[in-house]
Amino acid sequence: MRQSYFLVLFLLISTLAYNQTLEVSGNITNVNGLPLSGVTVYQPETNNGVISDFDGNFVINNIKVGSDLEFSFLGFIDKIVKVNNNNMMNVILTEDLESLDEVVVVGYGTQKKKELTGAVSIVSSQTIEDLTPTRVEQALQGQVSGVNITSQSGSPGSALNIRIRGISTNGDNRPLILVDGNVIEDLSVVTPSDIETITVLKDATAGIYGVRAANGVVLITTKSGKLNSELKLDVNIYGGFQNTTRELPALNATEYGLLINESFAANGQDLVYTNISELGKGTDWQNEVFQNALILNQDFTLRGGTKKSTYALGSSLLTQDGIIGGGKSNFTRYNTRLSFNTEIFKNLNFKSGLIYTGTRRKVLPENSLGSVLFNALNNSPVLKVKDETGQYTISEGLGNEVINPIAQIENTFNKTNVEKLSGNFGLNYKFLNHFSAESNIQFNYAKVEGEFFNPVAFYGSGKVFNRDRSEYSETKSTFNDYTFDAVINYENTINENHNLKVTIGTSVFKTEGEFSGSIGFDIPGNSNENASLENATDITNFYPLGNPTFDSRLLSYFGRLFYNYKEKYLFSAIIRRDGSTKFGPENRFGYFPTASAGWVLSDESFLENAEAISFLKIRSSYGILGNDRIPDYRYVSLLNGQGEYVINGELVVGIAIGALSNPQIKWEQQQSFDIGFDARLFNNQVTIAADYFDRKTKDLLLIPEISGTLGGTAPGSGAPIINGGDVRNSGFEFQIGYNHQVTDDLSFSLNYNFTTLENEVLSVDNSLGYISGGSFGIGQTDVARMEVGLPIGYFNGLKTNGIFQNQAEVDAHPSQVALGAIAQPGDLRFVDVNNDGVIDENDKTNIGNPIPDITMGFNVTLDYKNFDFQMYLFASIGNELVRNYERNLSLTNRTIYDLGRWTGEGTSNEVPRVTTGATSNAVFSDYFVEDGSYIRAQNMQIGYSFPKSKLDKIGVDKLRIYTSVSNAFTLTKYRGYDPTASSGNPIGGGFDNGFYPTPRTFLLGVNFKL
Amino acid sequence: MKDLSKIVKKCFLGILLITTISCSDDFIDVPPTQENSEDYFNSEEDYQNALIGAYDLLQSTYLNVMLGEIASDNTLAGGESATDVSGIQQVDDMIQTPVNAQLRDIWSWMFAGVNRANYIMEFQDKTDFEGKDLVLAQARFLRAYYYFELVKWFGDVPLVVDQRILFGQQFEIDRTPKAEVYAQIEQDLIYAADILPYFQAETGRVTKGAAQALLGKVYLFQDKFSESANVLESVINNGPYDLLSDYSTMFENDNENNIESVFEVQYTDVQGAGFGCLQCSEGNVAVGFSGIRNYSVEPGSVGDIFKSGFSFNVPVQEVYDAFEENDIRRDVAILDIVTWAAEVNATYVEGYEHTGFYNRKYLPRTGGLNTGDSNLTNPNNYRSIRFADVLLMAAEALNRGGIDESRARLYLNRVRVRANLSEVSSSGTALTSDIYQDRRLELVGEGHRFFDLVRTNRAAQEIEGFMTGKNEVFPIPSIEINLTGNRWEQNPGY
Repeated sequence: MRQSYFLVLFLLISTLAYNQTLEVSGNITNVNGLPLSGVTVYQPETNNGVISDFDGNFVINNIKVGSDLEFSFLGFIDKIVKVNNNNMMNVILTEDLESLDEVVVVGYGTQKKKELTGAVSIVSSQTIEDLTPTRVEQALQGQVSGVNITSQSGSPGSALNIRIRGISTNGDNRPLILVDGNVIEDLSVVTPSDIETITVLKDATAGIYGVRAANGVVLITTKSGKLNSELKLDVNIYGGFQNTTRELPALNATEYGLLINESFAANGQDLVYTNISELGKGTDWQNEVFQNALILNQDFTLRGGTKKSTYALGSSLLTQDGIIGGGKSNFTRYNTRLSFNTEIFKNLNFKSGLIYTGTRRKVLPENSLGSVLFNALNNSPVLKVKDETGQYTISEGLGNEVINPIAQIENTFNKTNVEKLSGNFGLNYKFLNHFSAESNIQFNYAKVEGEFFNPVAFYGSGKVFNRDRSEYSETKSTFNDYTFDAVINYENTINENHNLKVTIGTSVFKTEGEFSGSIGFDIPGNSNENASLENATDITNFYPLGNPTFDSRLLSYFGRLFYNYKEKYLFSAIIRRDGSTKFGPENRFGYFPTASAGWVLSDESFLENAEAISFLKIRSSYGILGNDRIPDYRYVSLLNGQGEYVINGELVVGIAIGALSNPQIKWEQQQSFDIGFDARLFNNQVTIAADYFDRKTKDLLLIPEISGTLGGTAPGSGAPIINGGDVRNSGFEFQIGYNHQVTDDLSFSLNYNFTTLENEVLSVDNSLGYISGGSFGIGQTDVARMEVGLPIGYFNGLKTNGIFQNQAEVDAHPSQVALGAIAQPGDLRFVDVNNDGVIDENDKTNIGNPIPDITMGFNVTLDYKNFDFQMYLFASIGNELVRNYERNLSLTNRTIYDLGRWTGEGTSNEVPRVTTGATSNAVFSDYFVEDGSYIRAQNMQIGYSFPKSKLDKIGVDKLRIYTSVSNAFTLTKYRGYDPTASSGNPIGGGFDNGFYPTPRTFLLGVNFKL
Repeated sequence: MKDLSKIVKKCFLGILLITTISCSDDFIDVPPTQENSEDYFNSEEDYQNALIGAYDLLQSTYLNVMLGEIASDNTLAGGESATDVSGIQQVDDMIQTPVNAQLRDIWSWMFAGVNRANYIMEFQDKTDFEGKDLVLAQARFLRAYYYFELVKWFGDVPLVVDQRILFGQQFEIDRTPKAEVYAQIEQDLIYAADILPYFQAETGRVTKGAAQALLGKVYLFQDKFSESANVLESVINNGPYDLLSDYSTMFENDNENNIESVFEVQYTDVQGAGFGCLQCSEGNVAVGFSGIRNYSVEPGSVGDIFKSGFSFNVPVQEVYDAFEENDIRRDVAILDIVTWAAEVNATYVEGYEHTGFYNRKYLPRTGGLNTGDSNLTNPNNYRSIRFADVLLMAAEALNRGGIDESRARLYLNRVRVRANLSEVSSSGTALTSDIYQDRRLELVGEGHRFFDLVRTNRAAQEIEGFMTGKNEVFPIPSIEINLTGNRWEQNPGY
């Protein structure tokens, strides 16, 4: 540890004469006590230097007492130590997480951080270690500017949405993700502790990936062994529990009874509960469904290296129960990985990696009408979980969608297993001094198998979840892909000052897969144990016409030039030609050019003496990127529609045209502009990066509304994909870090970043001027739109202007009857936006959008003696959410916010009256739109590392124990479970249907290295 | 060792070079893994398969039937609340606007059917085989069926024959005058009636009788009384149809495709369905929508013959009272839920606009497979054209066309006698009224009433809120006008 280094120094101070020369020897380690081999040890301004050996030992001669020894090692902060008359020296080097010489992976190659001309963000393994995320995406949230992570659900194993610099298309906004060069669509297969770095390419310099780069590129490198290092064992174990961060304040039975009575009375109906005093508190359904859930992770890695080879072997196991349903929403992931790199012959290197991952996931209905949480919120608190006979109570009269959530959990059986094998093999050959050739092959094989059993169930008459016939289905999908890359690099420095790096290469990618599945009925005993197709009757294949398959390919050629003069004037250019099978013969090929430049101002003479500025670089990039994330073969109409009819009493399967074709489709084009600067101030203590970006996406690939005359609504059919709109995302990114070593025992660092985002739709090319989506309540559609001049996915609803206080106000207002009911005092007053004298569908307008105006991350780390502390905060401001978890029926439960309802003139101007009569209050309006801004403590962690001196005795390099709490608190005005709720849909996101909240997780962990 | 090293390195470079060069553009020249719609129709089987696809959209006419009934004076929208499927509520109150999701569904689904029939016709000459005319005749019947629905609902609609409307062409097609559409419908039905036999080996397929009966109906809708009477009497005299003696069994699931059934839309409950794609259901969605709200009864008891549903399409007191006391059809057509529930000890919940009555002909019945969502997969076939309907249409054509009143009375009385009613002896307009009245009662709940009232100019007097000169047709969904390039005139009054 750092402390011991200073101890050593102080202890070694003695009285040696200054002009004495001696042989100095010592040992070099990192802060964790791991020996560092290959460290350069030299006397400044002399030629005297050596390199540390395998065990971090060095011996250097002819050193004058009182002179300096400098220790430098790539990726570590240089250290200068004055030589005293003691000839033994133990040196600890600190890793430079923000080193300028650090090599950054930029796709088909690397670049020094100093030489970068693009907007690139990096997350180090240290950050990932500190955050102990269960999924990789969690390590990105709040860590880097310009990247926004939202969760699709808080349930174990659910995916997270990664959005880089906004929402640029109404199709698929996922960035391209490569793990060691291998395309990965689903990050759940990657174990976070395996990750060395995550690099995010945010601007046009991602253009090296051409047609797939428009949504940004995330490059992940995994850890491997190091040359000349001993076999090391690294073990991480953590365990803990999770619970919900919030229960909504639903009415208790007494409050409920009173409000129900009031609403029935308001409609002239008999009271439902004549003896309120009997009701008491009733059942707290949320309390019934939420539970503490376990989480457990263990992983180990063996790493090492000889002179020519490195190897690593690791394995991990994560199992996580859900805070709803426990084991019924369990997620388990196990993973084994192997990597081996070796120099076969001089200048010919071989590398390889193999990862096997298995995941098992069970899910309960979530994030939708009729989900477990939705039912917990809406079910009557008067009902008990079970009646006197031990049967689950049925929710009569509560509407067709609200059922007993505990019974629902009990009756849910499903399982999805994923098995995936990924690998990469590569050869690298250096020749003719300046050339290297590299060839890599990467592949993924995945098998996804699902089993679903729905038993016979009765939840009350008319419930849509009632099942009179048990059914069991199995699905199986297989996915196979490979990427083959071949690259030739030329690297040279000409006349000392002209640094040149040229890369040309080709890449082919092919992915294919098959889907299959069958369903059967009437499982004996109605029991999950018997659930199998063998035991089922009336088995039908989901794909009577044969299993669908796909085969999609990409063929690319690319070239890149890096040039800089004295590492001061930087320039890079990229050109890529891509051919994709997603498009018809005429539009298959495209060219994607990018150029970028940088200027290291701090190397100029006029700044050389500016002491405050250690480093300053301005940079800018512009390029055209592509997006081809659409389904295959949409340039032709395939016979994959549904054409079935009953002939002779039997269902006969015919054929029909599937989705309509558009032979003209081509990829969407993004014109991406970025200008920014990187700076380091005050002796590198302060680091700053700032960017302005402007991304114009043209020819958006989208599925428009189409005329019904085209037949796109036929079963199994659909609208064609068109290039039909333009969207602009622009904003500022700013990142500042401050590191300070206060005393020998105390150091801290602060990091803050923010991203502003403005999203505007520039055109929608479908003669309608907008594209609609989303759904609200039961069957209310066209509630979100992509429309010119507004942010993509804005909420399209009615504006309210308080509550009608009396009949005179109702009479003075345009009629609201077209919404479904004649308004009465106590009802919401809607604004006649188009001033046509009636309130109807045409008065719908922009009432908010789910895109945050600004997101921020604030991270603190503090080291004091053997203790370390980290805190990561994230904030999202200006995003709106729609409250869509209330069923609003006569007998469904409500939250206490409804206690503030209108009960007579002057009582409320916000919450409408309660009544069982017909009202238009449930029509989508800004009454349901809430501010979803929040600040969240992503993670807080305290760790203690045992002193190295004690560990040495037991042969342990490092032993750290820690405790952490993630998602500790969230400050928000939002009334729902979790303001991070998002389906991730560009149009229709931000509707909260009873979002499965991200749990609060308490962990206790240990990390040791041998 | 050194030699080996050199060889390996050279090989590596060589292989790299070769693979790079060999990656030509052919690599991405791969055909789709599924059949292309442009390369089909190479065998009889292909034609037969495509024909099944064209039949498929018949099942989506459940909405036409239900909404047509709700539009009339027979039933109210009902449902859960005033805002439950607002498009249906509006049509009930005759306040529909050009923004109406259900009207757009009807428009889109019927055109989907037209396109599927036209897909076959587009390739009618590609491959020859024996019996191809039978395939084409069925396809043309289906095209006529869908177009008839379109003109009934919307008046002038774009007429496209023997080719699909491809993406891009929607900006070029215009609304065709109704008369021209009718002319095409007549041609298609005449062809189908010519080619097809009265008996098809497989039930569910279009027959000569179906084509003739629909043709007669199409004529009647245009007041072409003699043509109508002519072809309908041909069905009566030559067709294999008769009235079912026991009216009470007519709508039970075990009596489908009976002797009275001239054309029947076939449904089944073997396949699941969901709200995401109602037109994809192989079941009769209207049945679940018309079911008794939260109906609950002791399993196995007398009342355990119905299942619950969403309480749409509820008959009004007035139509219940319109039946004569001894008319056996009343209690088959309309369920008095209050009396029934008391009798069989059942419980239910009153939905919106609860009238105390349900459309018993198309209530969900117990005993099926109940494949989920069981509200959407009821297997009740829709009796599209019943022989009683043919008799009443023939009677009307003969009477209103002044062709033969005695035969008109004969046909009317066949229907009345079966209903346990006395024969009428009226003539002239009195006979017309009798035919109208019996037509309403015979066919209540079957989706005909609104269009019968419109074509006989009686809608304004019978339907509250109906405005003459406007409500004879429904508005073209405004989004459809937008999406075809803002060229079409809206129907008058909307």
